[in-house]
Parts: sequence; C-alpha cells; structure tokens
Amino acid sequence: MNANPTGAVLLLDGRLDDEPTAALAHEALIDGLTAGGWAVDDWRLQGDKIAWCAGCFKCWTQTPGVCAHNDDGRAFTERWVKSDLVVFLTPVTFGGYSSELKKALDHVIPILLPFMQKRRGETRHPQRYESRRDLLVVGTVPAGRSESAEAQTFKRLVQRNTLNMQPPRWTVGVLEEGTGAWEVRVAVNGLLAEVGVDGVLAADGAGREKVVA
Amino acid sequence: MKAPKQALLLVGSPKPGESTSESLGAYLLDELEKRGVKSQTLHVAKAVRSDESVAELRAAVAAADLVVFSFPLYVDSLPAPAIRVLELIAADHAAGVGADGAGDRAFVTICQSGFPEVDHNEVAMEICRNFARAAGFEWAGGLILPAGGMLGGQPLAKMKGMMRTAVKALDLSAEALAAGQPVPDEAIRLMAKPPIPKFGYRFMANWGWRSQFKKRGQAESLKVQPYA
Repeated sequence: MNANPTGAVLLLDGRLDDEPTAALAHEALIDGLTAGGWAVDDWRLQGDKIAWCAGCFKCWTQTPGVCAHNDDGRAFTERWVKSDLVVFLTPVTFGGYSSELKKALDHVIPILLPFMQKRRGETRHPQRYESRRDLLVVGTVPAGRSESAEAQTFKRLVQRNTLNMQPPRWTVGVLEEGTGAWEVRVAVNGLLAEVGVDGVLAADGAGREKVVA
Repeated sequence: MKAPKQALLLVGSPKPGESTSESLGAYLLDELEKRGVKSQTLHVAKAVRSDESVAELRAAVAAADLVVFSFPLYVDSLPAPAIRVLELIAADHAAGVGADGAGDRAFVTICQSGFPEVDHNEVAMEICRNFARAAGFEWAGGLILPAGGMLGGQPLAKMKGMMRTAVKALDLSAEALAAGQPVPDEAIRLMAKPPIPKFGYRFMANWGWRSQFKKRGQAESLKVQPYA
C-alpha cells in the first residue's frame, strides 16, 4: 500500500508485468501530473492484498459505504472518494481491464447507493457522494492492435463506466506496445490536457527535451 | 462446432454461497447432461487460489470441449477473478499448453446483472467474445439475463413460473449446444426479456432495500458518507 492515501490524483496501475510501453506511459503520467502540480497517489496493484469483491452487498446493508472486508479494498474506496482525478493504467485484456486493476475497481460499489433510478433511459444506482472525479484511462495493446476489436471494446467499456461514475471530464487512449518514448509522452500529455491537468504543455516541452537528448 | 462430450461450467461469481450465476449455469449443465454430455463445475474464485487449484483448472479446461462461463456483471465488466481465469486460459493457449484440443472447443457465456436492461451487459459479452477468439475457442454465443435479482441465487428449477422465459432460453440453448450448434437467436431473445416490467422491478428493488434498513432500525444510516 502506498504512503500517500489522500493524493488529488489516484493512479491505479494495473500492469501485469514490466512491458516497456506501459512503463513509459506510467513515467509520462507521473511526470505530467507532477509538472501540473498534482499530488499523485501512485498505486501499483500487482501483488497488493485486495480480496475479491464477494458481491455480498454488506457495503450497502450492514456497513453502509464501507467494504465489510478490512483490507486494501476498503482503502481503495476511501482513496477513490478523496481524489479529484482517477487514472487507470492497464493492458487491454480481451477489451477490458486487467484482473489486477479490476480487483480494486470492483470495490467501487460502496460509493453507490443500493437504490435504482432511471437515468437517460437506463436503470442506475445513485451516487453516495456529491463529489465527482475526472477519469483518464490508458490501455496498452500489442503492436498493430490499436484499431482491433479489443481496443474498440475497451473504449466502449470506459464509456459505459462514465455513465455510472459520472466524471465531469474523461478520456481514454490506447497505446501500442513498441511505441517510442517520445510518442508515448506526447500521447499521455494529450490525454492529461483533455482532463484539464494544468501545466501539461510545459511538462511536454520539458519531456521532449529530455527524450530527444 | 462439434457435439460436445464434456462440458465445464466456470462459475464466475466470487460469492461463496448460492449465486444466480451458478443457478443459471447449473440448469444449463443439467439439461446438457440429460442429452448425454458429461459435466464438471469449477468456481473462479477457488480456481485461482493456489497452484493446485490452477492445475485443476487447467486439467478441467483441457478435458472440456464446451466451456460454459456464467458470471455476474461487476462494474460494466466481469468480476476480477473471472478475468484472472480468462487471462490464465489465454496465456496457456498462447504458450501452447493443452493445445491438442484447440480449435475443437466451444465457449458459451451467460451474463446476468441486477439491472433490468441488457444494455449494461453488452460490453462484458464483447469481452467474452474477444477472449474466445484469443484463446482458440469457437464462440457458441452468449445469453444475457436482466433483473437477475429476481432469481437471487435460487435453483432455477424452483422458480420456473416467474423465470419461464429464462428456462425456455436455456432449454433451447442446451438442445442446440448438445447438437453442436451455437445458442439460437430465439434463446438470446427470450433470455433478454425481464421477468417483470422494468418499472415494477425498480419499485420492488427499492422497496426491498428500504424494508431491510427499516427492519434493522438503520433507516438514517443508509446514506451515510463515511469518507466525505
């Protein structure tokens, strides 16, 4: 568990291995966010002790808003609520998130209320909290697969998430493995700018110099 | 797709007790058994618990020529342990583990959620379809059950009246799958019908939650914001 539980940015790092493009994206995210003056709660999930969400709904009925299981899954909910921006970094896994990212994300249920209401033609659960956070999602795919069915599914998944999570601003990008450091940085900075991370342009300039050198 | 001899039900619900996913999958498996297909059931949360359970999972997948994957919708997608199992199976396929049967195996999915609309589940179904392609399975179709809360983990055979369209959908699916055919469109259409009108379902669900809280004398704590 990381030592910065109240960072304004919660970076959920769902990598399964040390694939270089994802590592570059992670570095670019940290650099861009830090340059923008944001405190980054950088959480590498792999190997972290978070029990599978058992779907018991005790977080709705017995301990409202809190996961009944006391581990990092409970901490996840708190860190999510206290963030202003959430970033997902994940290998695109059959068009979805990695199991490592998902083991945390499944614990987002306590931020919802159990009730059902119709919104924009579909049934949804109301939010427990008034606060919302922006969402930035970066997925990595094998080389040549950025237009694949998996990549398209991934973008649809993020779009579906936004219907439930209601981020004021959100964006999603898919990076191909093997993409160079400079291109990764440009892409990541572009995504950061879309969710209003100030100072990205300056960070972009700094990063460019660093990479080219 | 060939007529299967051995089916494997992978229950994608991490719930330790009775689950709606297991209820639906078990009914389909029973119907397949009646048609001469042998079956085995594994639960994803247990399957990824240890090296031994992963070995058992690998053996079961290798032995099956039809995998029935029944899971609940979690945050617009599959529950984490269900994804973990798919990652393992696909990695084995990529590494050539158990490659003997590759190409002759079919994958069929049942996805249910507490929402009365099927739209919520469609991305999860796409994910399963993408997995099937990546892991060398033939896609045998996917069924989506809306308003899964109506079943609430009860055995489907017990609930036949209210769940009659789901029963019919699974009967049609079993007949087709046992004959080496994909799930028929009619079964998909029937399964997608909510057991009761959407408005009524939402009303009943909200009433049910409120009653639970009232009974416990917790009505005031329902909307607490512990991390505000």
